[in-house]
Amino acid sequence: MNARERIAAVVALQKPDRVPVAPLLDHYAATYAGYTCAEIMTQGDKRISSVIKTATELGPWDMTFLADTANAVLLQMGVPIPIKLPGRDLPVNSTHQFQETEFLTPGDYELLEHKGVVAFMMDVAGRLDPAWKGIRVFAPLLKTAWEYRRHAKMVSATGMEVAAGFIHPGVLYEYFSLGRGITAMSADTFRRRSSIISAGKVWAEGMANLAIMSARINGVPRVFIGMSRASSDFISRKNFEALVLPDLEYTVNRLVDSGITPILHCDTNWTRFFDLFKCFPAKRCILELDSKSDIFKAKEILGEHMCIMGDVPAELFALGTRDEVMAYCRRLIETVGKDGGFILSSGCSIPVNAKLENVKALYEAALEWGWY
Amino acid sequence: MGEHDGLTELGQALADLDEGGVEHLVRQHLDQGLSPESIIIELSAGMAEVGELFRREEYFLTELIYSGDIFKNAMTVLQPLCKTAADRKDGGVVVIGTVQGDIHDLGKNIVVTLLECAGFTVVDIGVDAPAQRFVEAAIESQAVLVGLSMLLTTAFDAARETVAAFTQANLRDKVKIMIGGSVTNDSVRQDIGADFWGKDATAAVEIAREVCQ
Repeated sequence: MNARERIAAVVALQKPDRVPVAPLLDHYAATYAGYTCAEIMTQGDKRISSVIKTATELGPWDMTFLADTANAVLLQMGVPIPIKLPGRDLPVNSTHQFQETEFLTPGDYELLEHKGVVAFMMDVAGRLDPAWKGIRVFAPLLKTAWEYRRHAKMVSATGMEVAAGFIHPGVLYEYFSLGRGITAMSADTFRRRSSIISAGKVWAEGMANLAIMSARINGVPRVFIGMSRASSDFISRKNFEALVLPDLEYTVNRLVDSGITPILHCDTNWTRFFDLFKCFPAKRCILELDSKSDIFKAKEILGEHMCIMGDVPAELFALGTRDEVMAYCRRLIETVGKDGGFILSSGCSIPVNAKLENVKALYEAALEWGWY
Repeated sequence: MGEHDGLTELGQALADLDEGGVEHLVRQHLDQGLSPESIIIELSAGMAEVGELFRREEYFLTELIYSGDIFKNAMTVLQPLCKTAADRKDGGVVVIGTVQGDIHDLGKNIVVTLLECAGFTVVDIGVDAPAQRFVEAAIESQAVLVGLSMLLTTAFDAARETVAAFTQANLRDKVKIMIGGSVTNDSVRQDIGADFWGKDATAAVEIAREVCQ
C-alpha cells in the first residue's frame, strides 16, 4: 500500500498493511532542519523545506501537515487575538504565543451576522494589524493561498499525503472563545445565547464554503477543524448540545457531502462528549486527540464509527526516553490500532524541544509493531 | 433557605447562576439594613457551593467563571460599603503565576478563580513571571504555597530555575511549590523539583487545603 491507500483505508475503518504515521508537525521542523522558529513562521520556502526534510528523514511519514500552525499569516488570519511572534516579540527560537485578551466585543456577533464571514474576518484582521486594514489584507492572503497550494504539491510529490487542504478555525463558539477570552465567553454562554446561535449559523455556513473551496483548490481532500474550548473541560453537555454541536454537525456534513474528510483536531479533554460524535457520518471522519482526552475510551466508544489519530504526549517527547515513547506507541498500536482505523501521531504538535530519538520512535514503532 | 442545606436564598441564587436574582437580593438586603459583610458571607457560601458543583463535575469552567463574574459584580456594590476591609478569605495565601517565557494565563486564571471560591487569598503575579518575582511575592505575602503554571514544554527550564530561586533564598523548607498546566505530570514535577503536581484546578485546591491547614 502507498500512503494515500493507507490513509484511505483507516478512514474507512479498514485494515491497511500497517498503521500509518502522521505526527502534527510545526515548530519542530525548524529544530530538526536547523532554522529558527522565526524563519519558518515567516519564510515559506524554509518552512516547506524543513517540513519535507523532517517528515522524510524521520520516517518517511505517511501524512504530514504543512506546519500550518507555524505559519504567521494563517495564524493571524485564523485566530482573533494578538499574537506574539518569534523574531518580532519573542526570541527567534521561541514558539509563537497568543495573548488572551477580550479582543472581540459583544457587538462582533451582530457585525458577523451583518457582514458575513469574509468581510467580518477582514474587519478583524484590520483591527489586529493596521497594515492589514481593508483591501490591504488581500496581498498577504493571496500570496499565502498560492504558496499553500504550491507546498501541498511539493509534499505530494514525495509520496506523502498532505494532512489538510484548509485549516478551519472551528465553529463560532471556538473562534469567539479565543477572541472574547474565556472569561467573557463564559458570561456570553449565559448572557448572549441567542447571539451565539444566530451568528453561529452564519459562521458555520460561510466557513464551510471557504473550507470546501480551499480544499478543492489545494487538491487535498481533508480539512482540519480546530477544537479546544468547546470541550468537556470547558462547557457542560447541555451547552455543548445547544451552542456547539448543531454548527459542528452542519460543518462536518457539508465537508463530507463534498467528499472531504474532516479532521476533528480535539485539544483538551473531549471524553465526556465522545458518544455525541456518533451523529457524524460513519467512516468519514478522523478524530485527532492531544493526549488530554482518553484515546482508549475513544476506541471503545467510537472505534466502529471513526478513525482515531494520536496521541503521544508533548511532555513525553520532551522529557521521556526513547524506550518510553516506543512503549506508549506500542500500546496505542495494539489497542487503539486493533483491527485498523488508527493513525499514529503526536498529541497536538511535536514540541520544539522534543528529543530527536523520541520523534524518530514513532515511525520505528510503526515498523516494529504496526503491521497487520 | 434554598435547595442546599445551609445556603440562604442569596447564596442559592449565586449557586444557581441566577444573575438577576443575585442583583435583586443584594439590593433588597441592603435596603433591609443588612451589613455588607453579612451579605458577602452569604455570597461566599454560594461560591463555595459552585466550587463543590465543579468538583462533582455538575458544573464546568463556564459555570465556574460566570459565577465569579456575578460575584465580582456584587462585590463592586458591596465593597465600598464595608466599614473595614472585607476580608472574607481565611483559607491562607497562595502565590501563583505563569513561569518566565510563557504568557498563557487561562489555566492559571481557572486555578485562581477556584482557589478564591474556596476562600484562599491569591496573589496572582501574572504571566512570564521571572523566578525572583515568585520569591518576592511569597516573602511579601508570607505565602506557604506557590503555584507555577506552564503550557509549554520549553517552560520547564524556567520552572526549575524558579524552584532553585526558592532554595537560594533559603525558603525551600518554608514554601511548598506546586506545578500545573497541560504539559505537566508527576514525572515533570520530579524533574522540576516541585512538591506537588495539580492535575487540574480541583486538585490545586486540594493541595492548597493540605498545605495551608
